[in-house]
Amino acid sequence: MAELLDPTTEAVTQPIAYVPRPNSLRGKRVALIENTKFNSDNLLVKIGNILVNDYGAASARMWRKKNAGVPAHEEIVAEVQQTCDVVVAGVGD
Amino acid sequence: MPTQLTSKRFQVPDTVDLVEFCFQQGWSDGLPVVPPTVDRVQTMLEAAGLDAKHEVGFITNRSVSITAEKVAINAVMAGCKPEYMPVVVAAVEAIADPLWSYHGPGTSTGGAGVLMIVNGPIARELDINAGDNLFGPGWRSNLAIGRALRLVMRNVCGSLPGLLDRGTLGHPGKLSYVIAENEAESPWTPLHVERGFRPEQSAVTIMAANGPSQFYNQLSNTAEGVLTTLADNMRISGGVMGQPNYALIIAGEHMRTIAADGWDKARIRQFVWEHTQNSHAHLKRTQLMPGSVQAGDETKLRPLVDKPEHFLVVAAGGRAGAFSCYVPGWGSQRTSQAVTKEIKRRGV
Repeated sequence: MAELLDPTTEAVTQPIAYVPRPNSLRGKRVALIENTKFNSDNLLVKIGNILVNDYGAASARMWRKKNAGVPAHEEIVAEVQQTCDVVVAGVGD
Repeated sequence: MPTQLTSKRFQVPDTVDLVEFCFQQGWSDGLPVVPPTVDRVQTMLEAAGLDAKHEVGFITNRSVSITAEKVAINAVMAGCKPEYMPVVVAAVEAIADPLWSYHGPGTSTGGAGVLMIVNGPIARELDINAGDNLFGPGWRSNLAIGRALRLVMRNVCGSLPGLLDRGTLGHPGKLSYVIAENEAESPWTPLHVERGFRPEQSAVTIMAANGPSQFYNQLSNTAEGVLTTLADNMRISGGVMGQPNYALIIAGEHMRTIAADGWDKARIRQFVWEHTQNSHAHLKRTQLMPGSVQAGDETKLRPLVDKPEHFLVVAAGGRAGAFSCYVPGWGSQRTSQAVTKEIKRRGV
C-alpha cells in the first residue's frame, strides 16, 4: 500500500449574498461594467439603449474597469451600489 | 523536524500503478508524474526550509492560498530535485504578485506561458541551462522547475486547460519555459542586477509570454546590423497593440558582435525601441488599429512597448550560430508586468 498526497486545493469558501433578480427593468437604473476590450463599450451602449428603450429602464450608465483580468475596483462597486439597481457585466472577447 | 502535512491522503493498493493513479486523478499535465509520497514531499519542504502551512502566495481573484505543502507536492510530481525548491517557491511568489496579475495571463485565450529567467549563483549550482538548446530539451532543472510551476497553476490555482485556462493555441512553453542568463560569458549587466538585486543574489524574473521567435542574421558584423534585423522581425509581432514586456534573448555570436561595438543593454533597448515603432497608418492598414487612415497617420508612430525599459535583454543561447530570438509578452503593462523575486535559501 502506498500513500500519496493530494496536490490540489480548493478556493476559500466565501458566502455571497445575491440580491433577488427584479421581475421587471421598468424604472430601474442600469450599471454597465466595461472590461476595456475592443468594442466592449460599443456593445454595452447598444445593450443599454435596448434596456432603456425596449424594457423601460430609467437609465444606463457605463463604468470602465482597470483591465479585463481584474474585478471591478472598489470605487466602481461603491458608486454602483449608491446609484444603480441592476448591473450588466460580462467576461469575454 | 518533519513539518506536519495536512493534505488529503490517498491509500493506493500495491496492485495499482501509481503513475496511472495520478493520471486518473487529473493531476498531470499530460506526462507521467513522480508519485507524491509523504517522504518525498517532506524532503522537498526541508530543502526549502519552509513549514508546510507557510503561505507562499495568495491569488486574490481566485481566492486561493498557495501553501508550501502544495508547492512541494507539485514539485515532487514535476520531477524536481529538492534543491530546485527555492526556485519554484520564488516563481510562485512572483505569479502571486499583483503586478503579474494572475487571473489574466493564467486564463486568457491569448495563451501565455510563464517565461522564467534565472540569475545569480543558483543558476550555475543547479545547472540551469543558459547555452545550447536554450529552450530545451536536455536539462532536468530547466524542465522540472517550469513544470512544477505549471502544475501549481493547474492543481492549486485551477488553471485547467479548457476550464480556467482558455488559451486558444497555447504553446510548448506552457509545459516549461525556464532559462538562465549566461552570466559567465555575458559582457553585460545581469538582468536581476538591472532590476535592483546584487550580483551575488539569486533571483527569478517571470514574464507572461508567448512562444520564442527566432531570427537569423548571418551577415552583419555590427551591433546595428544585427539589431536592425531583430527590430524588423519584431515590429509586427505578438500583441503589438498591447505594449506588454518583450524579452530579447541574445545568443553567443550576436552577443559577441554587439558587445564588440561597445553597446550595452541600455543602448540595445534604446535602438530596438526606436526601430520597432509602427506608423498609425500601417497599423490601420494591417487591421490592428481601428479606423481609417487619416492625415498625419503616416508619420504618427506607436512604439512596440511603452518605454525601452520594458524590453528585458538577456544574454543566453548557444555559443555557435548567428541566431537570437525575441519573446513577445502577453497582454499589456496594464494587465501584467514582469516581476523579479529573490530566490531565498532558507533550507539546509
